[in-house]
Amino acid sequence: MTSAVATGSGREGRRRRPVPAWALGLAGLACLMAVAEAAPRAGLVKERFLPPFSAMVSALAGQAGTPVFWRALLETLRGWAIGLAVAMAAGVVLGILIGGVPFVRAALASTIEFLRPIPSVALIPLAVLLYGTEMRSTLLLVVYASFWQILVQVLYGVQDVDPIARETARSYRFGPLSQVRTVIWPTALPYVVTGFRLGAAVALILEITGELVIGSPGLGRQIAVAQGSGAVASMYALVIVVGLVGVVVNVLARATERRVLRWHPSIRREVVS
Amino acid sequence: MIRIRAAAAAAACALLLAACGSGGGGADASGDGPASVKVSVIPIVDVAPIYLGRQQGFFAEQGLKLELASAQGGAAIVPAVVSGQVDFGFSNYTSLILARSKGLPLKVVAPGAGSTGVKGRDFGGVVVKTGSPVRSAKDLAGKRVAVNTLNNINDTTVRASIRAAGGDAENVRFTELAFPDMLAALDKGNVDAVQVVEPFLTTALKNGGRLVASNYVDTAPDLTVAGYFTSQKTAAAKPELVKRFAAAMRKSLGYAADNPDAVRKVLGTYTKIDPALTSSLTLPTYPAQVNAASLKTLSALAVQDGLIKTAPDVKDLLP
Repeated sequence: MTSAVATGSGREGRRRRPVPAWALGLAGLACLMAVAEAAPRAGLVKERFLPPFSAMVSALAGQAGTPVFWRALLETLRGWAIGLAVAMAAGVVLGILIGGVPFVRAALASTIEFLRPIPSVALIPLAVLLYGTEMRSTLLLVVYASFWQILVQVLYGVQDVDPIARETARSYRFGPLSQVRTVIWPTALPYVVTGFRLGAAVALILEITGELVIGSPGLGRQIAVAQGSGAVASMYALVIVVGLVGVVVNVLARATERRVLRWHPSIRREVVS
Repeated sequence: MIRIRAAAAAAACALLLAACGSGGGGADASGDGPASVKVSVIPIVDVAPIYLGRQQGFFAEQGLKLELASAQGGAAIVPAVVSGQVDFGFSNYTSLILARSKGLPLKVVAPGAGSTGVKGRDFGGVVVKTGSPVRSAKDLAGKRVAVNTLNNINDTTVRASIRAAGGDAENVRFTELAFPDMLAALDKGNVDAVQVVEPFLTTALKNGGRLVASNYVDTAPDLTVAGYFTSQKTAAAKPELVKRFAAAMRKSLGYAADNPDAVRKVLGTYTKIDPALTSSLTLPTYPAQVNAASLKTLSALAVQDGLIKTAPDVKDLLP
């Protein structure tokens, strides 16, 4: 393909090829690493409080050799996946039920607007009371936070359904289930997927926060233990891991989006361009 | 983070009324096989004996299967114990005195950690930067001092230190900071002094900090700083479990007191303290008995500093 462009015409050939996005992304990361390495070495921040990047990496290598680290990583991923799955199921089902019935939707709109902005961390005492410091108490926070993200998107999606299509389906005496399948779902799906992507990120943040504050098992707790032990490099190493997990989660969510919506104009446009 | 925890603790107290004893903790001590016992602890130097006791089989000897739940602090531990999610928890005694005076039904079952009683060689103290004009606790008057939780054991004992040195304890500005954040704040000059415990105390001294007060030592001789507690409900419903746990705990504390090297070694299993540092840490004492007199002192200090109106009867708190 590049050769075709190059042989097209002299001017085309001379024009610089655009740098691929992934290369730019890597360059950005490399810059960040360089700053993280140089700032403590140059004395801008004290090494004792913010060790250079290489020290974090070597601490990370040390961590990676312990089963504790891998168990914590697994626990975090498990909590995230379970929480997101529960929130997803509840958000989609309730969203279609509530959104599909205008009367219910109007009745619940204010309640949803009231509950949605309550920060999940404010529920920590309730969670601890119900489940102690187990994984379940963090799960409660994760589900609560990501559920609203998904629900609201699904509600938007259901609202976006063409009323004429709905009326048509109704006049052809489609049952409620086939209405959902043939009319509501295709319209709502892009919104559902957006809700999934937003929910996935929120769920990860709350998973780590819950582990940090409550002390339920996972990477967040390991960060807290490292903090309490004065192990600064190990703490930042774990923070880096959390960042990496975030990147992976986002990439997976985007890939899911592209796969589920490959028929949708927004994705088709993206692929063409 | 600490502020979130404090808010969480306050809200938890309110919620406890609504809890109505839902949720079941560990199994009862009756029946065959070892009874499982859930204990909520904070991953710090103070709780080394319970990890050692588990390693040495002291809990198994009592027919207990110990399950340790690591929590980040009292905000998570107290509600978990009161609601019965865990059987026992670890906390400092001022927190328990405060909780008791607010009507939370808590009971001490075993000591946990105590002051060494040696000035300048305790596991906690007040540290200033090199070159600070503060030479002793008396000079802390008018200064900004960081403690990990406001209105708790650390500010009351620092005030006790200042009074013992003849200073003005009313005129100290306490700031709430988490232990891991204190040394950086001191270094930047955001605070004039910090009250730290191990491993931050040794780290601070290694980096040129100067110890100006041993606040636990100045407060009372052989101050018992923290220990294990349960809810009155658990104490009444499972007296056998409490007895066996207390017995195993005492044995663990005795073993820890006799084997400081084992304590330093076990730290590596549940904390991430730099192994190069563990050999130089000042360990707390691991007393076999709760020093009731020192509890009374903490209780009197809590009243004197206005944390509570009236002191709860220490006898109600003790087993």
